[in-house]
Amino acid sequence: MSQPAVDVRGVWKRYGDTDVVSDLSFDVHPGEVLGFLGPNGSGKTTTMRMILDIVRPARGHIEVFGEAPGVEHQERVGYLPEDRGLYRDVKIIDTLTYFGALRGMSRKAAHDKAMALMTEMELADAAEKKAAELSRGMHQKAQLIATILNDPELLIVDEPFQGLDPVNADMLKGVVRGQKERGAAVIMSTHDMGDAQTLCDRILLIDKGHRLLYGTVDQVRAAFSDGAVEVSGAGLPESADGLDSVTDVHDVNDAVRYLIADGRTPQELFRELAASGAEVEHFAVQAPSLDEIFIRTVAGDPRAEAVR
Amino acid sequence: MSGQNGGSGRARLTGLVARREYLRTVRRRGYIFGTLLLPIGIAVLMGVSVFFSTSGFEGTDGEASGTIVVVNESDVTINEFQTALASLETTTEQDAAARLQSGEISEYYVVPAGFREDGVVTRVETGSGFDISRLEGAENNEALLRYVVRDALLREAGVPDEAIARVLQGVSVNVVTVEGEEVSGADIAAGIALPMVFVAIFMISIFMTSGYLLQSVTEEKENRVVEIVLSSIPATPLMAGKVLGLGGAGLTQVGVWVLSALVAIPLLSSQVPDLGPIELDLTMLVLALTYFILGYLAYGAIFAAIGAIAPGNREAQQYSGFLGFAAAMPFIVFSVFLSDLSSPVVLALALFPLTTPTAMLIVLGISDGIPWTLVGASLTTLSLFAVLATFASARIFRATVMLYGVRPSLQQLVAAVRSPR
Repeated sequence: MSQPAVDVRGVWKRYGDTDVVSDLSFDVHPGEVLGFLGPNGSGKTTTMRMILDIVRPARGHIEVFGEAPGVEHQERVGYLPEDRGLYRDVKIIDTLTYFGALRGMSRKAAHDKAMALMTEMELADAAEKKAAELSRGMHQKAQLIATILNDPELLIVDEPFQGLDPVNADMLKGVVRGQKERGAAVIMSTHDMGDAQTLCDRILLIDKGHRLLYGTVDQVRAAFSDGAVEVSGAGLPESADGLDSVTDVHDVNDAVRYLIADGRTPQELFRELAASGAEVEHFAVQAPSLDEIFIRTVAGDPRAEAVR
Repeated sequence: MSGQNGGSGRARLTGLVARREYLRTVRRRGYIFGTLLLPIGIAVLMGVSVFFSTSGFEGTDGEASGTIVVVNESDVTINEFQTALASLETTTEQDAAARLQSGEISEYYVVPAGFREDGVVTRVETGSGFDISRLEGAENNEALLRYVVRDALLREAGVPDEAIARVLQGVSVNVVTVEGEEVSGADIAAGIALPMVFVAIFMISIFMTSGYLLQSVTEEKENRVVEIVLSSIPATPLMAGKVLGLGGAGLTQVGVWVLSALVAIPLLSSQVPDLGPIELDLTMLVLALTYFILGYLAYGAIFAAIGAIAPGNREAQQYSGFLGFAAAMPFIVFSVFLSDLSSPVVLALALFPLTTPTAMLIVLGISDGIPWTLVGASLTTLSLFAVLATFASARIFRATVMLYGVRPSLQQLVAAVRSPR
C-alpha cells in the first residue's frame, strides 16, 4: 500500500480540563476519501486543525506526507473549514489569487487557475465582484475553488455540503470525486450518512474524542448486520428445514427473509439455496444504514467493537 | 510539487501578507483622506493666511485710524491732537450723539466727571451687530485714549517728559541665549508648539496604524477567513506580515506628513517674519521615528490581541479606546513637562511603555539637548515591552482568533500566553 498522506497515531488534545481528542489513530491514503463522522463537539474539527498544524497535539504523533505537519506542506494541502468566508469588500478573483499565493503558487498562476476554475463552475461573471455582492451558492463555489486551487494532494473538507441547494451540492460532490480520482487523499467531515455512504471509501466515527468506528463502509455495515438476508426468486424454501445456516424464515412482501445462524455466513446460505434448486434473482444482506449505525454506536452498541 | 524550506517559506508568506496588507490599506479611502488631510490642511491654512494678509485687514495693524471723538466731563485736561493716521477731538455729548446718529462717526467716548475716582470711560456706539474690523478699530482707539489720558495725568503730577515717555512706552524684555543670540517670543512658542504638532502627528499615526491592524484581525475573524488563512500560514508569520505591512502604511503616512511639514515650515517662516528659521534636527527625527516604530509595535501587538479576543469589531474598538487614555496621559500632565523635565512624573511616564512614545516625543521636543540616559532607558524598556507584547499577542491570537462569538476568560488568556500551542 502507498505511504499514507496522513498518519495519526495515539493523538491527544486537551482544552482546559477536557480531553477533546483521546488516543485517536487513523490514516488516509492517496486516492481515498475518509468520511470523518461524529456528533457536534466530538473533536473532528480539532483533529483537522492538528493535521493542518493550526493547533498541536498534547501527545501522540501526526505525519503528513511522512513528515511532521507544518508550513512545509501548505503547498500540497487544501482546506475548507466549517466556519468559512471570503473578504467581503475584496474582488473574488483577488481573494482567490491571494489564497493561491499563500498556497505556494505564483500570483499569475493562481490568477489563471482561479479564472479557469471559475469558468468551469460557471462563476466567471462574478470574478470582478466583491464577496458581499455574491449569493450564498456563489460564495460556496468560490470557497471550494480556493480549496482546490493548488491541486492539493491532501484535501480536508469540513461539512462541505452543509447549507447547499441540491444542484450545488451535486456539483460539489462531483468536485470531491474528481479530486479523489486525481489521486488526492480526502478527509471529509459530514453529518450526512448518505454522503458518507456514497462518497467515502472508509469512515471514521468519533465521539468525545474517542474512536468508535473505523473501516470501510461495507465492513462497518456488515458488523452491524442483524444476520438477516433478503432473497427473492422462484422455488425458495419457506422453512428452515434442510438449511443448516438458517434459524428462522419469514415471508416479506415478494421476498423471503432468512435469519442466519450464529457462526454461519450469508455465503453458506447462498450455496445451500443453490443446492436446493431454488432460482435466486436477488440476494441482499440486510444491514442498517449508516444513520442507524451512527446512533447505535454512540448509544454504546457492542457490535462496534468489531470495527473500532 | 516539492516542499519548501520552513524558514524561507515563512519569510515568503510573511512578505505576501505584508504586501497585501500594505496595498489594501494605502488604497483605502479613509487612509488616503487621513494621509492627505494634514498637507491639505496646511495648504488651506497658508492660503487663508495669504488671503488675509492681502485683504482689508491690512489697515488694522495696531494703529488707531480716523477720528476719536471724546466727551470730557471730568476735570482731567485732555488735549486735542492730530496725526497723519488719527485725530482726537473733544466735544459735547449733544454734538457727539448727533454725529453718531447721522453716521458721521461710529462711536464716541465719554470721560465722566468721576473718572479720577474709578477710571472708567464709556464708549457709545450704534448697535449694528458684530463687526470684527470695527472691534479691532475700537481696541486701537481705546489704546490711544488710554495713552492720552495717562499722559495728561502724569503731566498734571509734574513728571518729567523723559519719565512720562518711559512710563507710557513700558518695559520690554529682550531674551538672549548664553551665546548672545536673540530669542524671539515666536521662537519660544515654536519651541513648544512645533514639538507638540510632531508628537500629535506621530501619536495619531501610531493609533491609526494600530487601528488598521485591529481592523484587519477582526475583519478576518468576522468574515470567517482566518481559519483558511491559518491553514496556509502559521500564526506568527501571519501576525508579522500584518504588523510589517500596516507598519509600512503607517510609515508612509508619517513620511507624507513629515515631508509636508518640512515643505510648509520654511513657507510659514517666510509668512511670519517673527517666527525665524525653524530647523529639524536629523538625530531628533531618527529618534522620533524609532519611538514611532517601537510604539507602533507595542500598541499594534496589544491591538492585534484585542482583535483576536473581542467577539466583534465594535467590542474591539471599545477595548482599544482605553489605550488612547494611556497615550494621552503625558499631554494631560503637559505642564509638568514644561516646568521640570527631571520630575519623577516625567521619568515614570517616559519609562512606562504605554506612555513612553508620547512622553519621550514631548521630552525630545522641549528639552534643550537630547537626554541620552533617559532615551537609552526608555528605548530599552519600550523595546523589551514591544518584544514581549508581540510574543504574547501571537500566542493569544493563535489560541483565541477562532473562538467565534465567544470571549475567552482571563484563565484561558493566561494559559494561551504560557502554552506554545
